Amino acid sequence: MHRGVGLAAFDKEQVSQRFAELSSELSKTQVDHLQSQLTQFRTALSHFATTHRDSIRSDPAFRHAFQQMCSSIGVDPLAGPRKGGWWAEMLGMGDWQYELGVQIVDVCVSTRERNGGVIEMGELVRMVSKLRGVESGVVTEEDVIRSIKTLQPLGAGYEVLDVGGGKKMVRSVVKELDADQAVILAEAQVEGGWIVEAILENRRGWTGQRTRAALENMLLRDGLCWLDSQDEHYGRAYWVPSAMRWDE
Amino acid sequence: MALSTHTTPSGFLLPSIHSAPPFFTEQPNQTTHAHLTEQWTRLILTYARHKRLFVLRVEDAEAPGSDWDEILRNERINRRILPSYLSSLMAAMVAKNIAVYEPAKQTRAVLLYWRLPEEWADVLHSWATATGQLNTILTFYEISDPPIPSPLSGIPIPLLRRAITILSRSNRAQIIGVADGEGVRFFVG
Repeated sequence: MHRGVGLAAFDKEQVSQRFAELSSELSKTQVDHLQSQLTQFRTALSHFATTHRDSIRSDPAFRHAFQQMCSSIGVDPLAGPRKGGWWAEMLGMGDWQYELGVQIVDVCVSTRERNGGVIEMGELVRMVSKLRGVESGVVTEEDVIRSIKTLQPLGAGYEVLDVGGGKKMVRSVVKELDADQAVILAEAQVEGGWIVEAILENRRGWTGQRTRAALENMLLRDGLCWLDSQDEHYGRAYWVPSAMRWDE
Repeated sequence: MALSTHTTPSGFLLPSIHSAPPFFTEQPNQTTHAHLTEQWTRLILTYARHKRLFVLRVEDAEAPGSDWDEILRNERINRRILPSYLSSLMAAMVAKNIAVYEPAKQTRAVLLYWRLPEEWADVLHSWATATGQLNTILTFYEISDPPIPSPLSGIPIPLLRRAITILSRSNRAQIIGVADGEGVRFFVG
């Protein structure tokens, strides 16, 4: 490499060296600053969590806001150094969460005969609230979803399914729902709990064979549907208990 | 459509499942079938107790106008149980010993045990004791159709005979032939 001679060359080297020094100094300050900010933030968050522990535990709206705040800054309250994560560490929410999990299992298992192991989220929240003897709104959909996450290590196959239209279902059996079955669940939701072959064929453009196969599988193999053979218009209707609205 | 409970004209509270159309169809899936059979069985027995009905026949599902219309039909959703389904429910109840084919050797009518014969035996003995009729001879007719309504009013004779047989095993009753048929004498238990 050709190097310049004379004063200019010397200057150039010195300048770049000084720039490098400055740059590393700057980044060091930045890292220090960031680190102190992080410590500050951690302290503040744990201080906040400790002072508002009661509100977080008892007030669903507050809990929701706190959860949202955590997720917007990229903190997952369920993750953490200890089992149970932040909820357990900062809020003592671990027990509450596990307890809710047990009650979710209770409801899912006790309604399984009826719904074949798939329950609508709203219904699950309602039944869990009833079990806890609390008014509606105290346990939220979000709490249930979080609790189901804590159940995952058990490998029982509890899973939240999004069936579209803002509707969620909780599956409590280790059974894969294929895409067609998910569509059927969603359409049955729209109809208020039932579905017939003609609707699926018209709305989804499915062939008769595909429709019948999917419905009969749900009916016979999975027990996710009940048959009604007295339907006035279609003769044979499939009712999905997890999509039916039960006033009990 | 929300599934809700409903109170019938006779004052019976129907469970919300009774407003679900598929409740009236015999289910092809075994688990579902078992679940709904249990719901139907419970409904039939509680309704029988409510209206003091002792006998259920396949014909009750064949045409309207039977004592069972309030549960075997649901006009609000235009559904009714089909005779074949009712017949299979009756078979399930007989298998669980909460009903018996009466008379025997046919499958079109059952006698319902919303109280088991053992329970009827206790009711019968308490009634005889409370009304001061121990040691006197009573005809079956005097028990099933007493001048003052009793917990035993309307009890079918075959069921009454079963209850008395149970009591006689513990020497609390004795069947006696009387002029116009059969009678019974109760003893202190």
